Amino acid sequence: MKQKYITLIRIFAIVALFVSAGLMPLLLPQYNLNMLTEIIIFALFAVSYNLLLGYAGLLSFGHAMFFGVGAYMTAIAIIHLPGLPIWSAVLIAIGATIVVGAVIGALLLRAKGAYFSLLTLAFNALFYAIATKWTSMTGGDDGLGITRPDLSLGFTIVSMATITNFFYLTLIVIGMGTLFCWYFTHTAMGGTVLLMRENEDRMKMLGYNTNISRLFLFIFTGAVAGLAGSFYTLHFRFVSLSAIDPMDVGATVLLITFVGGMKTFWGPIVGAFVYIMLQNYLSTVTDRWPLLIGLVFVLMVLFIPGGLSEVIVNMYQRFFGRKDRNDSASAAAEEAKS
Amino acid sequence: MSEILVFFLHGLAYAGLLFLVSAGLTLVFGMMNVLNFAHAAMYMLGAYFSYAIIMQLSGQFWMSLMVCPLVLFLIGALIERYLLRRVHAYGHVQELLLTFGLAYIIAELVKWYWGNYPLAVNIGKILVETVPIFGIIYPVYRIFIFIAAVLVGTAMALILYKTRLGIVLRAAVNDSGMASILGVNVPLVFMGVFGFGAALSGFAGVIAGPLLSTYPGMATSILVDAFVVIVVGGFGSLGGAVIASLLIGELQSFGVLLFPDLSVALMYLLMAAVLIVKPSGLFGEEQ
Repeated sequence: MKQKYITLIRIFAIVALFVSAGLMPLLLPQYNLNMLTEIIIFALFAVSYNLLLGYAGLLSFGHAMFFGVGAYMTAIAIIHLPGLPIWSAVLIAIGATIVVGAVIGALLLRAKGAYFSLLTLAFNALFYAIATKWTSMTGGDDGLGITRPDLSLGFTIVSMATITNFFYLTLIVIGMGTLFCWYFTHTAMGGTVLLMRENEDRMKMLGYNTNISRLFLFIFTGAVAGLAGSFYTLHFRFVSLSAIDPMDVGATVLLITFVGGMKTFWGPIVGAFVYIMLQNYLSTVTDRWPLLIGLVFVLMVLFIPGGLSEVIVNMYQRFFGRKDRNDSASAAAEEAKS
Repeated sequence: MSEILVFFLHGLAYAGLLFLVSAGLTLVFGMMNVLNFAHAAMYMLGAYFSYAIIMQLSGQFWMSLMVCPLVLFLIGALIERYLLRRVHAYGHVQELLLTFGLAYIIAELVKWYWGNYPLAVNIGKILVETVPIFGIIYPVYRIFIFIAAVLVGTAMALILYKTRLGIVLRAAVNDSGMASILGVNVPLVFMGVFGFGAALSGFAGVIAGPLLSTYPGMATSILVDAFVVIVVGGFGSLGGAVIASLLIGELQSFGVLLFPDLSVALMYLLMAAVLIVKPSGLFGEEQ
């Protein structure tokens, strides 16, 4: 009975979040709406990253590779295939990231721990080098500019030239992507990933092929990151080398995920809000904001390894502890409490 | 023919640099199981400190070659003692995140203080002097880099395999718990090794600075190359680092000569091939 009640509250909260986000174009000026779109895109990117980092315990430095491939493929498809519908561009981008994920994932099947981190960085560097050198395709240092295609719904055509319309498209598609990730964490496969982090040997004893699970997770998170990358290009109508740079967008997603908290599903979403708003604010105040963010990051690694979501969960428990005892958004949240 | 020789020698010089950086990285990894992202930041700091000593304080190149590794040894030891040791209990993800954050901060500090553009380190005649060798005229400085790397590598091998200190180090690698019970001060050993790795990396930075200009992106570029070296050579294997450095150095050098369009990808193709054939690296132990 109680569980049903909690589920209802949760569904209500998600609907309320969507509705309030849907009202934002009426309330916010255009500048802030642009920022909100960016936040939503990076939130999905960080959520997919957290499925690797928080759920599977795999620290990847190669997530920018998927984001970048998605971003570049969208731009390349739109430039080289005139009249391409927006859906096809996004699907081509996701398809490309799935191929990349399958090939790279197969090469680092057995890699775990620090070895995994190192290899993902090396492969990301390969993709970065290709983007730098293959200037006829990627534009090299100049990047690629596109015009956003209009959205065809069959019976009508919605112009995507205004940020308001594009914001709604982003909210719906990326929101669905995020919900799907949440759903994934509740499937049997999502559970396998968690168990694999906790005790891989036992999983093997129980007859699970952990290599396959890891490969699948790698491809899945890559494809989600590719979707985020695709919308990144559509949003900015431009893609440059920073979108595939492991030390640029790759570092950003790591910072977002960690600052938000990798022990809960919603931590990275909070992280995207805080990080991008902070970045927008700080960059008007000082040129040295990456240094500030870096310092905050190191202090958090030392003192608050659970990120902001740990602080929030702790606060919540301090004030409403008894009520929340048996309620957890996910198995990952469970761990944050113990 | 002489062209091939020139590219071969170029490859040797770069292999020397790669070895100096990856030796510390692989040693720290083998011993402490920490993949140190800040390692290449030490290399960059070495180059920038050397710039400060030579260009801003008008010191000598030889002076910076002595001073910078010492300073970086201290920095490395302090990082291990006061930062890394604190998060050790939380596992390798926290350690990686910490070293990553440090690398990020160091890069930002360098950009702040020295600017986000390449700097030239003028070390006078030694950089431009040439010497006739095997019938060609070749720059002395690149030969010096290679010889320095050979000397450092030999000294490391001698210390590791021929001295009492080496036995202690290898014991700490093999089974740190047992070594600790037998009276080895394992935390002190780790601090020393981490500092030594930083010093080695800084030394490489000092000698690389004048040759391959000094700029904030230099850390990332050598970090990736050093990572490929330890993947190819095998984790924690010094001999593997030697062979892999030579392979990668020559591959990069001849890649530019033979396949200019493909040269950036060759190194990664080699890495992928090694991963398929022997995932633990050429000289790594099976996991």
